[in-house]
Amino acid sequence: MTQDEILAIFFAECEESLEAAETGLAACREGTQDADTVNAIFRAVHSIKGGAGAFGFNALQAFTHTFETLLSDVRDGTIPLADDLVALMLRALDVLSDHVVAAREGTPAPADAVLLEELSAAQANGGIAAPAAAPAPAEVAAADEADAAEDEDGGFDIDLDALLDDITAGSEAEAAPGWTLRLRPHAGAMANGGEPLLLLRELLQLGAACGPCDVGAVPPLDEIDPCQGYLGWTFTLPAEVDAAAVREVFDFVGDDCTLSFGEDAPMPPLKLAPRGPAVAAVPAPVAVADVAALAVPDRGAEAQAAPPAPPSAAQSIRIDLTKLDRLIDTVGELVIAQAMLAQRLGNEGMSTTEELVMLEGLTREIQESAMAIRAQPIGSVFSRVPRILRELTASTGKHVRLELSGEATELDKTVIERLGEPLTHLIRNAVDHGIEDAETRLAAGKSAEGTLRLSAEHRSGRILIRIADDGKGIDRARVLEKAIDKGLVAADAQLSREEIDALIFAPGFSTAQTVSNISGRGVGMDVVRQNVKELGGRITIESIEGEGTTFTLTLPLTLAISDGMIVTVGDQMLVVPLTHVVESLRPEPGEVQGLGVSCSMLNVRGKFIPIVPIGNVITAQGAVSQPTEGVLIVVDTESTGQAALLVDNICDQRQFVIKSLDTHYRSVEGVAGATILGDGRVALILDIDGLVARSCQPAPLQREAA
Amino acid sequence: MSKTTRILTVDDSASMRALLNHALSSRGFDVVQADDGQAALEWLAVNEVDVVITDINMPRLDGFGLIEQLRAGSRHRDRPILVLTTESSDEKKSRARMAGATGWIVKPFDPDKLATAVRRVAH
Repeated sequence: MTQDEILAIFFAECEESLEAAETGLAACREGTQDADTVNAIFRAVHSIKGGAGAFGFNALQAFTHTFETLLSDVRDGTIPLADDLVALMLRALDVLSDHVVAAREGTPAPADAVLLEELSAAQANGGIAAPAAAPAPAEVAAADEADAAEDEDGGFDIDLDALLDDITAGSEAEAAPGWTLRLRPHAGAMANGGEPLLLLRELLQLGAACGPCDVGAVPPLDEIDPCQGYLGWTFTLPAEVDAAAVREVFDFVGDDCTLSFGEDAPMPPLKLAPRGPAVAAVPAPVAVADVAALAVPDRGAEAQAAPPAPPSAAQSIRIDLTKLDRLIDTVGELVIAQAMLAQRLGNEGMSTTEELVMLEGLTREIQESAMAIRAQPIGSVFSRVPRILRELTASTGKHVRLELSGEATELDKTVIERLGEPLTHLIRNAVDHGIEDAETRLAAGKSAEGTLRLSAEHRSGRILIRIADDGKGIDRARVLEKAIDKGLVAADAQLSREEIDALIFAPGFSTAQTVSNISGRGVGMDVVRQNVKELGGRITIESIEGEGTTFTLTLPLTLAISDGMIVTVGDQMLVVPLTHVVESLRPEPGEVQGLGVSCSMLNVRGKFIPIVPIGNVITAQGAVSQPTEGVLIVVDTESTGQAALLVDNICDQRQFVIKSLDTHYRSVEGVAGATILGDGRVALILDIDGLVARSCQPAPLQREAA
Repeated sequence: MSKTTRILTVDDSASMRALLNHALSSRGFDVVQADDGQAALEWLAVNEVDVVITDINMPRLDGFGLIEQLRAGSRHRDRPILVLTTESSDEKKSRARMAGATGWIVKPFDPDKLATAVRRVAH
């Protein structure tokens, strides 16, 4: 794993942490301030800080440190979590988010001095000051007790040195000039998995030579307690090794191993731990062996008993996205292969073979499971909204309450990723243009605080996202006036309400009296529609003057697989995405009206829509030219309203795997992509919006409205 | 040491896990990873390691909780356990020792120091 890959994990994790903190703080604001919630926020910030330190993002680390210190006090209950503190922390979170972006993009860190001061002030005012001052470093070699380690001849006499060859071996070779270290590990040095022998070995690695071991304090065999430290050691260290390096070696054991530096310093005194019942129960013979050899515990038997196994299954795993994409791609190929097989067998009259039915079922199941792996709850996009609203409140002074529903609705990761931008823009637009300021609202009999409702739901294989505000609604008279001003529509044009609403998506349209820096400069809504369209989705507006506006985004669950109608046009097989299809019909002669030389209209229950002869548009050989000879598919388009596509016949309706034409060939006008049919042939997927808009050029009204 | 030292790292942060894995694996250690104290505990119930390195603040079961449970049982009572801590104050160190840790690694860690710390406690 390269540093870059680890960095990528870190930034992905930062996003998750920011989300978790945002969610936690939002819960705090709503009154949920239990330990778990606060700890989750703390952990999120803490986690970013840890990584920031590891990767050397100093500004990020410094900021998280201050933030974390405050959170730590909140968690410990020394600072009450008041409303203004939550608000401050939410702002801090926004800056933290900017810090993360700066770290990721390598841009200068955001200005955070003021906020840092606020955070520090909040923490200081909380009553308890910064973390308690560190106690003085452990006094080393404090010979504060009576010299208990007085040599006592007549004690247990055993040549321990002989058993410690690995320590002393070679040490007698040359007594290099250096300095003397005496040390005595106590009982605690052997507790909790500690092993003084390892530390002594590390001294040898520093170049130390081991002198005779002080066994004077070792009691008679029947009195030995294996958990006590009886031995004192003398080492001669090379002059170039300083005391700090030695202290570093014994850092972990702290007071549990007394060190004394210098030739004149006496051997540290014996410090026996109080005897516990558990200690007394240990059989003595074992004790001798342990003390004598400072034995490495024998865990061999245990180790062999348990076969290695991976850590217990966690709730989630991380997968490299490219691997996932390959899986999805392969599943797509599988779907195609299955369809090809079905068609081949169908031609042989074996379409009802049981195994084939089974294969079809399994293929669909695999496909659905594979798509589900990529599915993510839309909540990850929604969770960014509170921040957007806070910024808007700061810049516009409008207070907006957010109502979320359907956060758990899942859709494809690629869709989620590309949803952020259009959604952000719609929200900004709703607050900036939709919701009125407090006085206007009160005057209109509404609450001073605006409401923005964001919802997501599944509906027949698609996802519906609604952004609804309770603002003033679209002022259609002004929209129309502006559009005429800008020359977007003819001055005498008669437009339906829907057509006027659709004008706000026109390029270069902006109704704001003063161009604000919030919703952009009138290019936004155009881009929004473009973004949504690129996602294979559609956007519709419902607006009631004085009551509010609702934008509805209809999106496919995935970009990789789609439903479509397979049609024939002359010698061509084409795919019409089902999302556009309203109905299909074989027209009676009376329902088709000519309009000029080349254009004809279809009368659908009293409404006339243009007929687009696909054969002409794509110049297919041998396509039907008379509407009454073929089939008309009524489609909905983004910009041009409804149209009827004239095709020869409809062959099938099924799922197809979308292959990009751009990557395999080049971008072609009127074609959204390609797919491989069951018989192995390539069929083009029609870009209905582009196709209809292009072929309806003579209809000026619709063109203008787009 | 003839046998490869096997290390279980316990951290809820994926990037920290990746860093630990990279630092330890590239220095010849055998690395196993767990996402939190609970997962580590479950894994250690049926597996053996030479050294445990654990973060402190984690969901489900935190580092101190993990150490407490391991020390309370017989199998891992003497297992070397290093805690990852962001602070190097003596107060924190003594707290880690009181909790039963064998030693500590101060985050952000230097990979070589990490390896030294592991060797210092690996039996």
